[in-house]
Amino acid sequence: MLRAALVIARKDLRLTAGRSAGLAQAAALGLLLIFLFSLSLVPGQRMSAQGASAVFWMASAFCQVIIFGMLYGYEGGKGQKQGLLLAPIPVQSIWLGKALAGVAMLACAQALFLPASIIFLGQELGPAWKAGLVVIFICDAGIAVAGSLTGALAHGQTGKESLLSILVFPLLVPLFLGGIRVGSSAFGGSGEAIGDWLGICLAFDAVFTAAALPLFPFAYSTDE
Amino acid sequence: MKDEAILKRTAGERVFRLISPMALIAGLALTLCWVLIFVYAPRESTLGLPQKIFYLHLPLAWWAMSGFFLTFAAGIVYLRTGKEQWDAAAAASTEVSLVFACSAVISGSIWARASWSVWWTWDARLTTALIMCFVYAGGLILRSMDMPPARRARICAVFGIVAFLDVPLVFFSARLWSYIHPPSISLEPEMKLTLAVCLAAFAPLWFCLAALRMKLDLDERRFDALRAERLSREERRSR
Amino acid sequence: MLLRLRDIARFYGRRLVFSDISLDLSRGEVLMLCGPNGAGKSTLLNIMAGLVRPSSGTVLCNGELRIGMVGHHSCVYAELSALENLRFWAGLHGLRLSDKELTGMLEHMHLAAFAHEKAGTFSRGMTQRLDLARAFTVNPDMLLLDEPASGLDEASLAVLRDETAAAAGRGAGVVLITHRPGELSFSACRVALLENKRLRLYDDFDAFRHRSSEERAC
Repeated sequence: MLRAALVIARKDLRLTAGRSAGLAQAAALGLLLIFLFSLSLVPGQRMSAQGASAVFWMASAFCQVIIFGMLYGYEGGKGQKQGLLLAPIPVQSIWLGKALAGVAMLACAQALFLPASIIFLGQELGPAWKAGLVVIFICDAGIAVAGSLTGALAHGQTGKESLLSILVFPLLVPLFLGGIRVGSSAFGGSGEAIGDWLGICLAFDAVFTAAALPLFPFAYSTDE
Repeated sequence: MKDEAILKRTAGERVFRLISPMALIAGLALTLCWVLIFVYAPRESTLGLPQKIFYLHLPLAWWAMSGFFLTFAAGIVYLRTGKEQWDAAAAASTEVSLVFACSAVISGSIWARASWSVWWTWDARLTTALIMCFVYAGGLILRSMDMPPARRARICAVFGIVAFLDVPLVFFSARLWSYIHPPSISLEPEMKLTLAVCLAAFAPLWFCLAALRMKLDLDERRFDALRAERLSREERRSR
Repeated sequence: MLLRLRDIARFYGRRLVFSDISLDLSRGEVLMLCGPNGAGKSTLLNIMAGLVRPSSGTVLCNGELRIGMVGHHSCVYAELSALENLRFWAGLHGLRLSDKELTGMLEHMHLAAFAHEKAGTFSRGMTQRLDLARAFTVNPDMLLLDEPASGLDEASLAVLRDETAAAAGRGAGVVLITHRPGELSFSACRVALLENKRLRLYDDFDAFRHRSSEERAC
């Protein structure tokens, strides 16, 4: 399963690299959001650490929607999807492959969002930033695991269904709350209870992985 | 022949016969509730009259959550069996429970205003209920989307399952986010009895609404199937 | 025996596409599936592939089959080169093929000169050839081809015939849909005619031709 997932992830990243508009579009949207929120500040004023962290995660959330829309869009023609489903691999490896590609792309985008938040929102890295990075990664993993499932749900014939990926935002609330709190302490806010948040984020990852494994075949099939 | 399956009434649908008696029971039980709430239960000393909201708020939230659990369970059964009845059950349960959950959030907000003099507070339970309202409202929008019916049913089932699994995560994260506990109220025995009756009284109400909705949904599907059958018969004859 | 269909029926909505279809496919066999437009040939092929569930009836297959399928919709990723496309599908099927082997396959399909071109720039015929190359590369137990001849020139048609025969020679069961059976005649093949919601089987191509000319006469 892992081998097939890696083959799929590699193919998707290769496709993304070849397409100039792809990831750039997602990153641009996120950067724009961060910049727009910097307008809420009077010149010289700094945004609170928690505020900046919230903006950072909001940018990531919208980025996620575009990323998974794009990743499942690669099998937009019916033929490619049939090909994947006919291959002698567990269907779940498609989910895992897309999640792996997604987490890599999200991390790339966040590598831009992080300095952008620091510059535009007047933040500094606090002492807890290393732990913060770890939690960001765990949150990203959760976003990818859930996003890969909902991306498969949203993947379909009509553009209307793409709205679906936004409908699932509330499902990600536990991750966002965790990400915002930990991000806030990484930006030099009060550093409390990172361990607890780590637990919740890990639980989220585990629950969504456990749910996606049996549910994905129903979300991604050709038999209508 | 999947489509014809919907035309047959299943044995499980005998449960719809319970709608009328249950409605009667619900009416009587709710009347009893009002009497208990306003006549029997003592007036709480610090909060006064607004405390009575509690007797409605708790059953609403309770049965909303139970309903969401039924959506979850019906989704699993639908994915296993592919029977449309379970899809209809999940749909009905989502709709009714969403109404209950929204009412619970609104009544909770009024309660918050009366007791903590703010309309909203980051209480874990309140937040969880609100997020669940968002999630399941999204679920309803999903149902109204234009897709092949089998795909829609499958997507909604997956969504219902994932959404329910999310509930405890939302609850714990909201609690960690802001650790405010509503002061635990010591209940008088009369209050406890009133609350128990209210909790019980909302069950037949929930059942009636959900069963009616499910019956309507199934009838709609049957109507569509019959109409399609008739159209194709006419088409064949005209050829 | 590779695949066994028993009493298959399929509805779309309330429209019956076909019913009472029973069919065995054995190793090394080529089955030609013919029939008028809309008879449900592609649907039947999809049922064999396991992509579409029959409304009733059973599909039995002999263990996990590796399926090479070329359907109506191309599997080609427009933004990968021809070589990358093949490499991906081979990798997904767990085959570690060197670039040389893959290029050899492309050469076979007269695509070697375009190995590093993006597949999106290909013409319809070239895309079809790349799809065929993919199906042959994955070394299938069962080869399902839906009008494989469409868009192919004479030279490619000959390659298609050879490769299909070679795959059957290696023990693969082949089902191919065609509108013009004469175009792709194989010496040893059964013919299945899907017409009026039923399937009729003929033991070889001559029997089919003979029969169908008789029918056409009356």
